[in-house]
Amino acid sequence: ISEIGRSAKSYCEHTARTQPTLSDIVVTLVEMGFNVETLPAYAKRSQRMVITAPPVTNQPVTPKALTAGQNKPHPSHIPGHFPEFPDPHTYIKTPTYREPVSDYQVLREKAASQRRDVERALTRFMAKTGETQSLFKDDVSTFPLIAARPFTVPYLTALLPSELEMQQMEETDSSEQDDQTDTENLPLHMSTDDSGPEKENASVLQQNTSLSGSRNGEENVIDNPYLRPVKKPKIRRKK
Amino acid sequence: MNRKKGDKGFESPRPYKLTHQVVCINNINFQRKSVVGYVELTIFPTVANLNRIKLNSKQCRIYRVRVNDLEAAFIYNDPTLEVCHHESKQRNLNYFSNAYAAAVSAVDPDAGNGELCIKVPSELWKHVDELKVLKVHINFSLDQPKGGLHFVVPNMEGSMAERGAHVFSCGYQNSTRFWFPCVDSYSELCTWKLEYTVDAAMVAVSNGDLVETVYTHDMRKKTFHYMLTIPTAASNISLAIGPFEILVDPYMHEVTHFCLPQLLPLLKHTTSYLHEVFEFYEEILTCRYPYSCFKTVFVDEAYVEVAAYASMSIFSTNLLHSAMIIDETPLTRRCLAQALAQQFFGCFISRMSWSDEWVLKGISGYIYGLWMKKTFGVNEYRHWIKQELDQIVAYELKTGGVLLHPIFGGGKEKDNPASHLHFSIKHPHTLSWEYYTMFQCKAHLVMRLIENRISMEFMLQVFNKLLSLASTASSQKFQSHMWSQMLVSTSGFLKSISNVSGKDIQPLIKQWVDQSGVVKFYGSFAFNRKRNVLELEIKQDYTSPGTQKYVGPLKVTVQELDGSFNHTLQIEENSLKHDIPCHSKSRRNKKKKIPLMNGEEVDMDLSAMDADSPLLWIRIDPDMSVLRKVEFEQSDFMWQYQLRYERDVVAQEEAILALEKFPTPASRLALTDILEQEQCFYRVRMLACFCLAKIANSMVSTWTGPPAMKSLFTRMFCCKTCPNIVKTNNFMNFQSYFLQKTMPVAMALLRDVHNLCPKEVLMFILDLIKYNDNRKNKFSDNYYRAELIDALANSVTPAVSVNNEVRTLDNLNPDVRLILEEITRFLNMEKLLPSYRHTITVSCLKAIRVLQKNGHVPSDPALFKSYAEYGHFIDVRIAALEAVVDYTKVDRSYEELQWLLTMVQNDPVPYIRHKILDMLTKNPPFTKNMESPLCNEALVDQLWKLMNSGTSHDWRLRCGAVDLYFTLFGLSRPSCLPLPELGLVLNLKEKKAVLNPTIIPESVANNQEPVNSTNNHGQSVGFQNTFSNSQEEEEIDMDTVHDSQAFIYHHLNMLERPSTPGKEQSSGEMNMHPVSAAPMSVFSKESNSSKHSDHHHHHHHEHKKKKKKHKHKHKHKHKHDNKEKEKDPFAFSNSPASARSICSPSLSD
Repeated sequence: ISEIGRSAKSYCEHTARTQPTLSDIVVTLVEMGFNVETLPAYAKRSQRMVITAPPVTNQPVTPKALTAGQNKPHPSHIPGHFPEFPDPHTYIKTPTYREPVSDYQVLREKAASQRRDVERALTRFMAKTGETQSLFKDDVSTFPLIAARPFTVPYLTALLPSELEMQQMEETDSSEQDDQTDTENLPLHMSTDDSGPEKENASVLQQNTSLSGSRNGEENVIDNPYLRPVKKPKIRRKK
Repeated sequence: MNRKKGDKGFESPRPYKLTHQVVCINNINFQRKSVVGYVELTIFPTVANLNRIKLNSKQCRIYRVRVNDLEAAFIYNDPTLEVCHHESKQRNLNYFSNAYAAAVSAVDPDAGNGELCIKVPSELWKHVDELKVLKVHINFSLDQPKGGLHFVVPNMEGSMAERGAHVFSCGYQNSTRFWFPCVDSYSELCTWKLEYTVDAAMVAVSNGDLVETVYTHDMRKKTFHYMLTIPTAASNISLAIGPFEILVDPYMHEVTHFCLPQLLPLLKHTTSYLHEVFEFYEEILTCRYPYSCFKTVFVDEAYVEVAAYASMSIFSTNLLHSAMIIDETPLTRRCLAQALAQQFFGCFISRMSWSDEWVLKGISGYIYGLWMKKTFGVNEYRHWIKQELDQIVAYELKTGGVLLHPIFGGGKEKDNPASHLHFSIKHPHTLSWEYYTMFQCKAHLVMRLIENRISMEFMLQVFNKLLSLASTASSQKFQSHMWSQMLVSTSGFLKSISNVSGKDIQPLIKQWVDQSGVVKFYGSFAFNRKRNVLELEIKQDYTSPGTQKYVGPLKVTVQELDGSFNHTLQIEENSLKHDIPCHSKSRRNKKKKIPLMNGEEVDMDLSAMDADSPLLWIRIDPDMSVLRKVEFEQSDFMWQYQLRYERDVVAQEEAILALEKFPTPASRLALTDILEQEQCFYRVRMLACFCLAKIANSMVSTWTGPPAMKSLFTRMFCCKTCPNIVKTNNFMNFQSYFLQKTMPVAMALLRDVHNLCPKEVLMFILDLIKYNDNRKNKFSDNYYRAELIDALANSVTPAVSVNNEVRTLDNLNPDVRLILEEITRFLNMEKLLPSYRHTITVSCLKAIRVLQKNGHVPSDPALFKSYAEYGHFIDVRIAALEAVVDYTKVDRSYEELQWLLTMVQNDPVPYIRHKILDMLTKNPPFTKNMESPLCNEALVDQLWKLMNSGTSHDWRLRCGAVDLYFTLFGLSRPSCLPLPELGLVLNLKEKKAVLNPTIIPESVANNQEPVNSTNNHGQSVGFQNTFSNSQEEEEIDMDTVHDSQAFIYHHLNMLERPSTPGKEQSSGEMNMHPVSAAPMSVFSKESNSSKHSDHHHHHHHEHKKKKKKHKHKHKHKHKHDNKEKEKDPFAFSNSPASARSICSPSLSD
């Protein structure tokens, strides 16, 4: 039977058609040596098999749950022949958490109370783990004050900005890069005592040049007695 | 002893002239806090027979004195160590003050005196007669100095440099004698060579040019060599040694800044402004900065915030700040500017005598004011002048006057020009610190008055003249005798004013400089419609203490409908009423703009004013050209107009203060309008906040709408969408920053009908704290948060106390609980993230004290005491101490008072010691007219001891103790002491008459220990015995004798002490005298031993014996002496110290 089909297709294509016609099949059968005339008689024979039509089953309905939302119609710039959009659920992000709060007031509120909670927890912890003072004799836990502890160098903590503030500083004015002038001032280490004599002499020389330099109004070399190198006891140069 | 009168130039009180001094400190030991060194003074005798040289020296241990390489004998006698010697029962402040003034006189370099008296070796007398140069070489050391030189040595691991240990000179007025022997006078100028040998890791900063730095041979130390070629007074010499970080000023390379390790970034920021101050002063004075270099040193535990010395200034390290700090910036800049002004006037130009001090303080204060005007604007300047004026007026009215130029005729205490005060104003060292502060304040205000008179241009010309004369003089050699040009005197200053301006300012000087007191005006007015005349009545109160009568011109400004008009009234003896013609008829119908003083024309709503009168407001002395207080009456609408439309900030502030008395809706509106006006000066707006709070409280029953300022604050600083939340901080606009800080503080003062802070306000402030968010801010919010805590404290009202129950947590008011929660959190957070200068801790401590005082929290000083300990930041300590002082007063706690007084004696930080006394004086636990359990004999004794001998190392502290004693007990004998026996007075009088011949010579000759000349007791008998025995004959008991002794001594003092120095001046003559040469015989080379005895009282009988023996010898001499030259021995004999050194064991044999 497949040979019949194949040949029939060949004949039909031979005659530049896509669909085989009856004559194509007849030609095929003839070619294969069948007698076409006997065919109607064969079909009407008594013991022939009847092939019943397959039972019509209902088309399986796609479950509702999967069709999330309507398929979007094509927007105008997409030609109509393009395929339909897939179901929305395949490409739309579905929120799986609660709506984010974008309200300014609530945000501030949250930030404030969060910070406060952190601070309170932290200070309570510190108070619990260290010495405390209390305002009430009978109760030490409700308002625990971390005990005051003297510093060895009290002005440092009081004057220097804390690291947090430094960070903030950098964040707020990152544009203003410090054009530090340390290069001029840092080389002076009062404790660099053991610099070799040749080095010393070199710097003395340098200092001398800087002396004359600054006289000429040269800006970048500073002549300041405190920046001059310390002299050796033996080589007392009178300036 | 009288001050040289003016024109003739300066005459030195000394028989020699100092030309050059070398100070060499070879060793500084931080561990032991000791200093070893020597000084060498080059002096030229000015009289032929000079054989004694008096120098100033305190605390120093003097090992050896050589004159021209010959060993010289010397005597060391410091009567100020212990002011009143005998353990007298006289606890009377009058007595003390006189004795103290006399003691200070006895060593006053301006009178040619000194603690250290060096005998010129006889080998040199011939040399001296030829007036040839003498070199006095003194080896000395200092061990644990208590004043003059302050060591800061943090107690931690590491080398001294790593610990940041440093030392610096400090003190009040001439205090250089505390750290090396010198002529400690502002009028004795010389050139200097200063050498300091310090650890290699340290830097020594001192006056003049650093010539070189040389290592010692072992390379572990280095020596700093300084030269100061500009003649400078010893009192302007200073020193700071420490492991300083060095910053050369990027704008001016001859200026160098020093700070303690780790603070360099702050130093950079803080000093980045200094060059502008330099430029300003140099420009207005048209004179270059006189020294070749300038150094600023920032040290910890500074004595004062700013101390100016020749070519360097020592500042408190707490003035340093980073770029994030707003509030401290102007304050620090002001300190820098002050220090620099004093470089010109005070350091470079020095004063001739103490009574000329006002000129220097005046000029430096005045040019500092000019700098303020330029830097912070006219508003700030006028505000400052007003503030200073109010301060001086309040102080003078309280104490009875500040005298700028005291003249001491004859030197007798009788005509003491300041008899209303409890201290002598003859010496800087006897002055109360507060008086001195006010003195400076008055000085610059008077300079401003002079400027008003002669114009600023002339004023600056005068300054320029003084400076150029001085700088010419400074470059001269000593021989040219030009150096006195560098000293300024009152007469010289006035002369150059009259030369330059051609104006006579004598009346002005007489009124404000030669005389103390301020003027008190009361003004009121009526408008006479018929004559169209303003009838102004100006009364004066010149009878209350601290006031004086004013006669002369007085400016009155009248704002009328047609404009503002100035009138100059002549205030005369009897005329009270002044008629001022008005220019405008009252016509209110015409709508016309009203011209103001500054030419501006404004629309006004005139409906509030009186229909018949064209007067809008009146001001008396608007330019503050009289040192006065004005109380002026005008109606409320006039004040309101003045507030709204007068452009002068002083007028606005006056109007605000006046409006407090008019709680009306119109006042409220005027204040609110001012608050909202952006152009208005921020200080005026801040003041308006507080006034508004007061008005709201007075109007509480009729007040409508939300609490005052709340809606305004909401509008200005809260989010548009959610008005209950404050915007995230942005302090770029400083005016609104200050307003934002102030408004909550003022709002918290609001009270409802129950006199409680409204809940709404409290919640509002708590919300401000809660929502405070500084993350996006360029500046630190520490001051803002601190003020929010202050606001919380302000909202606290007294607790409703149910029959004095104990305060516990359970009965805590819920509002207070909220407040406490915030305070606890803030205070604890400070431990983890400390704020700048710990402002938040300070505010928290204050708030806790408020809660205690109002009975919400049990009153307990323990917390404050722990914060007051050494090692906390100074601001925190002071806040804590203030709370303890307050506790002492409220709870009358003896224990706390003792604790405070112990701290006064022992605390390492001089400023704290001073401040405690100051706070106790301002907030005394009791006063003289008050009954208090604290007031007892022991306390009297303790305080007496404190001021008598316990504070000899610090003038400021001693004067502080005197102030406190005065506040507590008054001038006379403290009331808590047992009354002296009846008949004392009688006895006294009798005794005075009877005993005079015997006792007077004694107490003169030998007042340390009265010995009866006729009574020769056993040698081992103590002096008390001696005493009573001798007195038994006259049947007088001990107490009386003590008292009378004291009394007589005191009188003698008054009569004779002041004249002594005068006599002493002619010491040449004295030396010729055979008898007065006697003390010379006891001059010792071995005063080492005598020095030791200086510090100990003689308790040993042996000593006494010797003493006694000696005394007899002496007495005879002295008696002798007395006959011929009564007053002479006084300078020597008025203290046990002298006696001790005379009687030291090594000598008595």
